[in-house]
Amino acid sequence: MASDLQPAILEVGRALDAAYPSRTRNPLKAIDERAMALAATDQELKAALFRFVDVTPACRSLDDLARHLTGFLDELPERPPSLDMAVRMARSRTGRAALGAAAAAGVRHMAHRFIAGESPRAARGELRGLWSRGVAASVDLLGEATVSAAEADRYAARCAEALDELAEAAAASDLPAADANLSVKVSALTPLMRPDAPDLGREDAAGRLRPLLRRARELGAHLHIDMESLDSLETTLDLVLDLLGEEEFAGGPSAGLVLQAYLRDSPAELDRILAWARSCPRTPPLVVRLVKGAYWDHEVVEARQHGWSPPVFESKADCDRNFEALTRRLLDAAPLVRVAIASHNLRSVAHAIAYADGRELELQVLRGLGDELGQALATRGHRVRVYCPVGDLVAGMAYLVRRLLENTANDSFLGAQARGAPVEELLAAP
Amino acid sequence: MSLPPFRNEPTLELRRSRDREALLGGLRELEPRLPLRVPVLIGGDAGGAEGIESTDPGNPARVVAVAGAAGERDVEQAVRRAAEAARRWGALPAAERAEILIRAAALLRERRLMLAALQVRECAKPWGEADADVCEAIDFLEYYAREAVALERGPELLQVPGERNAMRHVARGVVAVISPWNFPLAIPCGMTAAGLATGNAVVLKPAEQSPGCAGELVRALHEAGVPPDALALLPGLGDAGAALVRHTGVHAIAFTGSGAVGLEIIRAAAETPPGQRHVKRVVAEMGGKNCVIVDSDADLDEAVPAIVRSAFVYAGQKCSACARVLAHEALVDRLLERIEGAVATLRVGQADTFGTDVPPVIEEEAHDRVRRYAELAASEGRVAAGGGDVPDEGWFHAPTLATDLPPDSAVLRDEIFGPLVTVERVPSIDAACDTVEASPFALTGGLFSRSPDTVREVTARLPVGNLYVNRHITGAMVGRQPFGGNRLSGVGAKAGGPDYLLQFTEPRVVTENTMRHGLVVE
Ligand SMILES: Cc1cc2nc3c(=O)[nH]c(=O)nc-3n(C[C@H](O)[C@H](O)[C@H](O)COP(=O)(O)OP(=O)(O)OC[C@H]3O[C@@H](n4cnc5c(N)ncnc54)[C@H](O)[C@@H]3O)c2cc1C
Repeated sequence: MASDLQPAILEVGRALDAAYPSRTRNPLKAIDERAMALAATDQELKAALFRFVDVTPACRSLDDLARHLTGFLDELPERPPSLDMAVRMARSRTGRAALGAAAAAGVRHMAHRFIAGESPRAARGELRGLWSRGVAASVDLLGEATVSAAEADRYAARCAEALDELAEAAAASDLPAADANLSVKVSALTPLMRPDAPDLGREDAAGRLRPLLRRARELGAHLHIDMESLDSLETTLDLVLDLLGEEEFAGGPSAGLVLQAYLRDSPAELDRILAWARSCPRTPPLVVRLVKGAYWDHEVVEARQHGWSPPVFESKADCDRNFEALTRRLLDAAPLVRVAIASHNLRSVAHAIAYADGRELELQVLRGLGDELGQALATRGHRVRVYCPVGDLVAGMAYLVRRLLENTANDSFLGAQARGAPVEELLAAP
Repeated sequence: MSLPPFRNEPTLELRRSRDREALLGGLRELEPRLPLRVPVLIGGDAGGAEGIESTDPGNPARVVAVAGAAGERDVEQAVRRAAEAARRWGALPAAERAEILIRAAALLRERRLMLAALQVRECAKPWGEADADVCEAIDFLEYYAREAVALERGPELLQVPGERNAMRHVARGVVAVISPWNFPLAIPCGMTAAGLATGNAVVLKPAEQSPGCAGELVRALHEAGVPPDALALLPGLGDAGAALVRHTGVHAIAFTGSGAVGLEIIRAAAETPPGQRHVKRVVAEMGGKNCVIVDSDADLDEAVPAIVRSAFVYAGQKCSACARVLAHEALVDRLLERIEGAVATLRVGQADTFGTDVPPVIEEEAHDRVRRYAELAASEGRVAAGGGDVPDEGWFHAPTLATDLPPDSAVLRDEIFGPLVTVERVPSIDAACDTVEASPFALTGGLFSRSPDTVREVTARLPVGNLYVNRHITGAMVGRQPFGGNRLSGVGAKAGGPDYLLQFTEPRVVTENTMRHGLVVE
């Protein structure tokens, strides 16, 4: 098929490329131009900077912050001159205060590109901005790891409040309630996520997810369940399919799950999801958000440490090809499921649009990384949703570092785009 | 024969249901064989198999193995026959012995599901831990086999014209192995494999709580080709071990267990009664009171699960387990609150149930000991978590978290070896290091800090044998984390490390004059 589709993909891709809002076209450069440009060229420096970003919220004072920064920089075999100055500054107390303040501001600035606000209420302005441009949103509540029942309860309560808040905000913007859209993580809804005992987490999380589904149904809002690392896959998939298969949810709420194309088993998982959808018809149909997967390094390292064969594709092209194959299967399965394609890769997105050829399709991007692509898609009249994490800096750091790492990785699409690869190359078949 | 490089045996992938099913199949295969019969085994002759019984700690009415109880005469006979066998076994090229050990590893691999199930039943080791134990046993065989081949080549010495120098490491003779129940396969296997790989004969006296696992180990080694005389199995009680240690025909003793017994062995081994023509070498791996230091910049999302895992996995019955948490005052309250919440989520239950975090402790005596310390903690300080419901039958003790203890409390000083962990507030990381340094133990330690300077300073200061930074502190891997303690925790030998085998050999140097009348013979 790919050969017939290629001209259409090129056409869609070029049109999107031309529709990017400004000449920036490269969210990475804008993030924090110099730091990112530096980080992208030097692996050790990148590690130092990201470790620093990671520890920022745990530092007790500007002095402490500056000491951490220089601690990381001291470990570098070579330092660019600009950072040498930072190390010199840190020799005096006042220098450290100034350095700490500058670094803190830098990290906060970076965080705000990815995180829409401290709370759904604080993010209201941002959401309204998106909505007014015809772009939808999904809010994700960042949080610390859940290690106790009390923490799981608190997260569930925050989710319930967020649903109310989003429904109210949508109403205030004269939008249908369905535009209130919340993404949740199962690992935050239970402290009992055990890879060797998936039933424990499933049963425990069900007790907290069920009330959220009811609330979403009452409000007419959409609830989406994110997918995390493979250790939690069985729990998550069983939980979502079990609950949504329950009689009481046959007529709503609108809900969805995530399929990760980097998993070698993802085609079999899609079989299972489609078989389920056939056996439990529900209205509205399940949304399947197709992603590549955010835990690639984690999965590979964990497998290597245990001597297991990695559960993910090890070549980017295999992953991308699988993503396209799953895209086609999903679009062909509609209206059994509703399809959302979540990617910042112009090729992956153009492929989906070309194959859909006017059939219903939603495209999704992450705040801070896919803003320009999102705008280009909206300009071209496609349905777009921006995934907007909300939360404080402490909770946001793990998310932030993951995004930074992923997108400065050598074979990421955004990396290639940042290096200025020509659009034909970016649109080539994987 | 050239061996492929060592690699750790992969554990099962228990996140996949097919691997969980496989283990349950191992249990179904094992059950009809229970109770196992484990006779005293000397020179291939099976002696009596009644005297001691091992039972399921989660269901003490279930007998897992019926074993002989070796006496003085058995010890005498086993050592005498081992001494004879050692000459022949030690004369083999290391590569031939290695081949046999690697064959034994293959047998364990074939039987891994059944062996894991046996640990579940005999020692209440939860599945994941039991599977890891089997893998570690396999690792020891594979690793020491290779190390012994390398050792046989001998080190490079300086050579000058007219002189030829060579250094060899030869077997000591008879090695007595006295092993514990908490790694019922891996530890006896490691110590036995080290002795055998280097050419010694071995007399194994396993813990009376786990003769079944030891019996399976010896069976595999014999089937693989270890001569019956070169490996004797003496199941039995403490007196059998004591007699073995005292025997003048024993050259080296490899022991893992409690500090009290270890020190007693070291004392007894120092005797050189008339007729004994050598000094005994003791490799003793003893207890610990392991501390995890948490700095003010630690990531609690990582520290809390890692601490809970280090303290409570296998009910805290690992010598590497975390017993004390020393937390910076800037975050101790938050840490305590989160650990408390996390402890409350732990699943206390049978080892054969997937998802069980805290199985029963090994026996009644252990249960009483943990209970006594928990009571002491409640009276001297505060029990922040503990006392939850546990099954009536079996030696279950609820995971317990204690704090606000006076600095001289026995709860902070003694090795409890059960599911009890304490949290202390420290004003600085320096103060935490002082506390660790003041302890007579130095086995494992942990540090959670994201400051490179702190990591460097603490690493330089702590005397512990194994320090883990920003991770859990149990689960040392053969070849990756050579394991063993210092101070009163052990004699500093590192199991699964590159210099471990030296303990089982004696070095000999031969210098030959190769010049005669000015003629150099090369
Ligand atoms: C709206 C939205 C929601 C998301 N929700 C989730 C979620 O719930 N769960 C989740 O896991 N992820 C989620 N993601 C993240 C997503 O999985 C990707 O990590 C991210 O979008 C980058 O992929 P890309 O297609 O945009 O970029 P690309 O640059 O085309 O792809 C990068 C991705 O390719 C894969 N990859 C990288 N190197 C290799 C290699 N050597 N071999 C094989 N594969 C490789 C990795 O998955 C990496 O993330 C979401 C993304 C979006 C936009």
